[in-house]
Amino acid sequence: MKNKINLFLVEYAINALVRRGGKHFFIGFIFTFLIFLLSSTLFISDAIKLELGSALHALPEITLQRFVAGKQSDVPIQRVDALLDIEGVKSAIPRVWGYYYFKPAGVNFSVIGMDAFSRQYTQTLQTIVDGIDMKALEKENGMIVGEGVKKILGANYYQDFFNFVTSDGQWKKVFIAGTFNASISLEANDMILLPKKIAYEIFGMDTTRATDIVVSVSNPKEISMVVNKINLLYPDMRTITKDDIRVSYQNIFDYKSGFFLSLFMVCAFTFFIIVYDKLSGLSSEEKKEIGILKAVGWSMDDIIKEKFYESFILSLGAFMLGICFSLFFVYGLQAPLLRDIFMGYSNLKPSFNLPFSVDGGMLCLLFLLSVPIYIGATLIPTWRASILDADEVMR
Amino acid sequence: MIMLRDIRKVYTSASEEVVALKNISLHVKVGEFCVLKGASGSGKSTVLSLIAGLSKPSSGEVMVDGKQISKLPDTFSAHFRRRNIGFIFQKYHLIPTLSVKDNIIVPLIPENLPLAQIEQRVQNVMEKFSIAHKATSMVKYLSGGEQQRVAIARALVNHPKIILADEPTANLDATLSMELMTIFEMLKNEGVSIIVATHDPLFFDLACVDSIKEMKNGEIVS
Amino acid sequence: MTLTPEIIALLMLDALFLFFSLIALVLSVRIFLKWDMHSTHALQYSLEKQSYLVSVVIKYIFTLKIPLFLFFIFTCNKLSNIITGAMCAAGVVNSVDFGLYLTVFKIINLYFFGFWLLLNRADMKEEKLPFTKLKFLLFILFFVPLLAEIVLEISFFSSLNISKIVSCCGTLFSAASTSYLSLLFKVDKTLVVGIFYFFAFLIGIAYFLKNSVVFIFANGMFVIFAIVSLIVFFSTYVYELPTHNCPFCLLQKEYYGVGYVMYVTLYIGTFFGIGGTILNGLLRSDDRLFLKISLLFDTLYVLIVSAYPLSYYLKNGVWL
Ligand SMILES: Nc1ncnc2c1ncn2[C@@H]1O[C@H](COP(=O)(O)OP(=O)(O)OP(=O)(O)O)[C@@H](O)[C@H]1O
Ligand SMILES: [Mg+2]
Repeated sequence: MKNKINLFLVEYAINALVRRGGKHFFIGFIFTFLIFLLSSTLFISDAIKLELGSALHALPEITLQRFVAGKQSDVPIQRVDALLDIEGVKSAIPRVWGYYYFKPAGVNFSVIGMDAFSRQYTQTLQTIVDGIDMKALEKENGMIVGEGVKKILGANYYQDFFNFVTSDGQWKKVFIAGTFNASISLEANDMILLPKKIAYEIFGMDTTRATDIVVSVSNPKEISMVVNKINLLYPDMRTITKDDIRVSYQNIFDYKSGFFLSLFMVCAFTFFIIVYDKLSGLSSEEKKEIGILKAVGWSMDDIIKEKFYESFILSLGAFMLGICFSLFFVYGLQAPLLRDIFMGYSNLKPSFNLPFSVDGGMLCLLFLLSVPIYIGATLIPTWRASILDADEVMR
Repeated sequence: MIMLRDIRKVYTSASEEVVALKNISLHVKVGEFCVLKGASGSGKSTVLSLIAGLSKPSSGEVMVDGKQISKLPDTFSAHFRRRNIGFIFQKYHLIPTLSVKDNIIVPLIPENLPLAQIEQRVQNVMEKFSIAHKATSMVKYLSGGEQQRVAIARALVNHPKIILADEPTANLDATLSMELMTIFEMLKNEGVSIIVATHDPLFFDLACVDSIKEMKNGEIVS
Repeated sequence: MTLTPEIIALLMLDALFLFFSLIALVLSVRIFLKWDMHSTHALQYSLEKQSYLVSVVIKYIFTLKIPLFLFFIFTCNKLSNIITGAMCAAGVVNSVDFGLYLTVFKIINLYFFGFWLLLNRADMKEEKLPFTKLKFLLFILFFVPLLAEIVLEISFFSSLNISKIVSCCGTLFSAASTSYLSLLFKVDKTLVVGIFYFFAFLIGIAYFLKNSVVFIFANGMFVIFAIVSLIVFFSTYVYELPTHNCPFCLLQKEYYGVGYVMYVTLYIGTFFGIGGTILNGLLRSDDRLFLKISLLFDTLYVLIVSAYPLSYYLKNGVWL
């Protein structure tokens, strides 16, 4: 084909970028920064999504909560047997858990009651529980805590035990028997695992009741059918499937990154105007140069091409630079400051690593959000420059 | 070779209309050396830029080498210009922040020739006008005479058939002007048509000049 | 309205396209009405300059349109993760009534604007700019589907409702579907596939007979039957499931995105087959380059889609 790229023109364009460094540096700098911000937010939200995804993967397929008078309330444990009778249900496990508000630090711990024999409903919990001797724990009145919890308790001088205040105002002393590694997952960081007996005591619950019931189903395709049956059997129970949670999480994050993107759009628009303005204001020297180029035989097309190469090289360079910076910022430095916005402000959750989640689709997205907009902003100024009359600018 | 027929050129700006050329006709043959003289503002530069296709007449036609250059679309007139016309400007009009060599390459860029060929041509003209030793220096640090030679080298790098020179001696001293005359003479002997717009009397009694046209208020008077 | 990053990117570029195409439209109308190659009036010179802006703008829009089409499908595929019931882009596209029209307009525009650029190139190659009026008239006409596409896309994304349960491609592309898509499945499979190969063959014949009218016609019918036969027949071999008839799932990772290759070859083949041949007619030229490209890519497409059922048959000894 005759339309092959003219490398001399590309070289000229690079040269022109360098020669007018001052003007382009400013634009390039802002553009790099915008791309850096944009890609960092998207990388972070995607990484958190991925992390949540793996947490969700471990989630029970169906969670049953009982609602009385519009408020969540405890579930009678006998219902478990009736649930097991439903066809397609593989297991139904009653859970005893809740949040414990620790006033001095102003944070919530998730307190989970366990017993020695029952199977755990998530992989994470199972691995944790497998490593500990529940019977010994029960005997010595101990608990296992997540690293975040350990840190906070330590800061409040609870080195090896903690006094829970039970719902009837009594103190309940529980020893810290060990910690587990929070790197397993986001959810494990603020967790306290202790024997069910103690959990009942702390929450002041009747031992014939459970907080909720988690149900697993043999064939995932039958989930909706099972849900229907449960709803018929117990109209006071609300069923939450894994899919519901997944969608709502996804929505929250899309919403948050959507919010950022809307901000970004405002920035992008401003940027569009800045670029337009910067490039429209040609100095007399630049005008003269264009006049010379035309006089020695460049066509409008050649000038448009040369200017296009300039803006393409500049924007592509800024794009790659911005991406590299944000890769380093997000995965190297673990995105200080920015990640807090996405994680909520709980100081209990910061200590997990953002998993790497950049793929081709993401890079395409970032590219489409940045480079075409820059090029778009240069179209009219470029054309304006190319139609300058050689004989008028050179007198 | 070059034919201007009934050319009229009117510049319209917001406030007024300036008639730069009224009814000009001119004929320059192959290998002819033609001098346009006349007072400032008489329209000499305008004639040159019409011939180069850089501006378009308000009426009339400009034929160069059998082509009506004023009616060519931009791509074609640019193509035609870089193949056939070498322009030497009054103020050199080099790109000050580029090196000598890069300035001379500029007209060759749109052609997208092989690198070796480009190097060859640039080297040739630089040697011909003895500026090869300055190839990598930036143009704005050169002396006036050197800049003039770079401008000429740039105009000739495409081996044009027509040279258009607008006050080429305006910034040159007597010896440099004489040097330029010998270059023009040499080109003329190679069969190049030359049109010079000037009011430098040096041109008026030169042996190699074939015709002298005087312009006044946008008309050719003799 | 859901604002995922992908949707925002698409909407932002739509806004940009709208802005630029409106400028191009105004200029095109002006050029179409006032263009006079023989005039030496200043107006004509400024029109010549403006025509460059139009072509720059259209080049910009078109070069982005091709990747954006793929990106649109990619976005829909991704959205299918959060829309209940959707398994791939098909469900998402169909969750809004006019989703299918949007896709159709997108495809038509790819042909139109590709053709415009071919014409533009041919026009600029001639000293007399013979097609200038025609090309600006065409842009004025093509602006209508372009506008339709942009408007449809904006309303598509704003009416996309993630809590609405949609059907997946399994029900959309089946005889049981209530939409007119089900009509496709009422026709005999072998007939459709037969017609597909017939037109592929016809393209070859027309190429050797140098008959442009037949070549254009055969290419036009070829696209239609390529898509229909892909849905009712070939796709099932890609999925190796007799009931899975979706043209969108092909684009997913599980099938190595083979769909992108198929659609791109089909587009290139038929685009040059139709657009290139029409252009040759306008130029009265017998340059066979476009025809060769067309024949090459059409053949490539036929080979790719045929490879699936054949290798299935060789492996398993039966047809699906
Ligand atoms: N772009 C323009 N806009 C308006 N008027 C112009 C323009 N260019 C030239 N003119 C006018 O046209 C007339 C001819 O100008 P031109 O430059 O051709 O003169 P010249 O003979 O080259 O003069 P000099 O010897 O000073 O270079 C002048 O009156 C000038 O003012
Ligand atoms: Mg002058």
